[in-house]
Amino acid sequence: MTSAALVEAKDLYKYFPIYAGLTSRHVADVRAVDGVSFTIQEGETLGLVGESGSGKTTIGRLLLRLLPVTKGEIDFEDRNILTMNRGDIRRLRRSVQIIFQDPFASLNPRMSIGEIVGEPIRIHGLAKGKDVDDRVRELLGLVGLQPYHANRYPHEFSGGQRQRVGIARALAVQPRFIVCDEPVSALDVSIQAQVINLLEDLQEKFKLTYLFIAHDLSVVRHISTRVAVMYVGKIVELASRDDLYENPLHPYTQALLSAIPIPDPVVEKRRKRIVLTGDIPSPVNPPPGCRFHTRCPLAFDRCKTEVPPLREYAPGHFAACHWVEEHDGKAPDLI
Amino acid sequence: MDLLEVKNLRTTFRTEDGPVTAVNGLSFSLDAGETLGIVGESGSGKSVTALSIMRLLARNATVTADRIALRGESLPAKSEAEMRKIRGHRIAMIFQDPMTSLNPVLTIGEQIAEAVRLHLGLGPREARDRVIEMLNKVRIPQPEKRLGDYPHQFSGGMRQRVMIAMALSCNPELLIADEPTTALDVTIQAQVLELMALLQSETGAAIILITHDLGVVAEFCKNVLVMYGGNMVEYGTAEQIFAEPRMPYTQGLLASLPRLDRSDRQRLEPIAGQPPNLLRLPPGCAFAPRCAYRMPICDQPVPLYDFGAGHLARCYLYDERARDQRPEAMRELPTIPAGTS
Repeated sequence: MTSAALVEAKDLYKYFPIYAGLTSRHVADVRAVDGVSFTIQEGETLGLVGESGSGKTTIGRLLLRLLPVTKGEIDFEDRNILTMNRGDIRRLRRSVQIIFQDPFASLNPRMSIGEIVGEPIRIHGLAKGKDVDDRVRELLGLVGLQPYHANRYPHEFSGGQRQRVGIARALAVQPRFIVCDEPVSALDVSIQAQVINLLEDLQEKFKLTYLFIAHDLSVVRHISTRVAVMYVGKIVELASRDDLYENPLHPYTQALLSAIPIPDPVVEKRRKRIVLTGDIPSPVNPPPGCRFHTRCPLAFDRCKTEVPPLREYAPGHFAACHWVEEHDGKAPDLI
Repeated sequence: MDLLEVKNLRTTFRTEDGPVTAVNGLSFSLDAGETLGIVGESGSGKSVTALSIMRLLARNATVTADRIALRGESLPAKSEAEMRKIRGHRIAMIFQDPMTSLNPVLTIGEQIAEAVRLHLGLGPREARDRVIEMLNKVRIPQPEKRLGDYPHQFSGGMRQRVMIAMALSCNPELLIADEPTTALDVTIQAQVLELMALLQSETGAAIILITHDLGVVAEFCKNVLVMYGGNMVEYGTAEQIFAEPRMPYTQGLLASLPRLDRSDRQRLEPIAGQPPNLLRLPPGCAFAPRCAYRMPICDQPVPLYDFGAGHLARCYLYDERARDQRPEAMRELPTIPAGTS
């Protein structure tokens, strides 16, 4: 990567406190994000994958300051967004936007599509009066909807069309960075491809930078430049797309990739699958040491006590694993 | 004899907007011990098919069929009392969301025991033993302790394993699994699918796996039935469907999927348009409005075409009568005599 980082997260923590009892005593924390650092380069798509509770959605919200950070720093264009005042944050929101997973819950049912897409334009004073309507129609055209759709309401649209409205709303302020939080997970397969192609076209047209959060590793492979894999609040592996999929280092990444069925019975018959035992640990009480040691087929003593740091084993290829470290960056042979 | 035979199943719902046709003349059959995947997108009629067979639909549904038979016995002809003896015993079901399909105020032991006491007539002691045996089978650790726990004390993957234990507790001949792994994470999905395959080989139950995930079908199923707009549009072995899809919808579905094992950044080829409105299904092919090869003849009801070795597809591209209407690139396709349904 030669270009500068547009977004940088430095040692980011987010704990959600749990209160219990009559006096609402602080008894524990959900350690949703537990010491995470990464950069997102201008123009790239960083894929963020992980299973439920891994903290990927929380990271997306932290980057937009939709949630307060417990500890750490987030830089956007080299400015720490956590120390910004309200005016700065308002200006920041013109540069960073989000597309949500659920196209049903993320659109206000009482607002017309024109009002939904026009609202950010009005709030940020980007246009006035009739110009707002023109801009809305232009945005609807960009995402493959018709100008007359501006007068309709969300319930009149299918899931895929609603997701297009969500994309138009995000684009309305001409952002540079968009957090796409599971944008296609709720869509049918044939519609999913339409939205993925649209996101790719828009990225090229407007030089957008994406953080693409998803649990579907096939979609992430398709759309990402680099991919970070999360497990219970931590990044366990980060690499360029092809490095990660062709040469995964972390045993969890290997298991995750092998668990995904490929839609081809001939390929499926030849594949070996690592079936992990046990459940994903709770982020309230994560295991000490490496969080994956309770399910890892390679775990040894050190893994149970010492947290493995995220180390670079090949240019741009990071992993957090004691086994890999003790084997000089060799990938374990699990598959 | 077929384990399950369904002929010309038609299910409509009365709604305020008019009748919604969820299943539109579906016919298929299933052998004992077979694994059939039913794939399709939301609203294609997969789940309604299962619920129609089980007679579990709400009152606003009208189900008609020339035949729905389990080992030759007609299910629509059964009384409600007889049907209750079949459900959970000879045909068991697993649903997508294990949280809402388990009773939150009963322990999981009580829930599994209810089925075996009712259907197998076991006493309290034997029922308890059977529950422990089943929980062991689905690898719930310390089953003697866990049977006293409530559903909320289990994780999503464990709950789905409890559902599987319950479904298989009476040795059903047929297990209908409706999106059993959709709510689960992939590493947990792998566990559950492995477990289902193992238990199937032990018990010999036939499985109908309803899913939208073509990967799961490729991994798990011997035969595949593709649904669109309430009817089967293609049927064959998994190899036939994935290697040589005949119906443009199946082809489009496969082309629109990003693949984990492909590094090329090829653009996806989505299917244009939106799924059909079930209030106004077209008279001919339900997929025609989105089909790149649409021909005038597609507005008429489409029969099934037999491609040999059990591979069926519902598409006029292969009809002698449509030869002159085909797009240029398709002129050389073979033609096949039309089937019946």
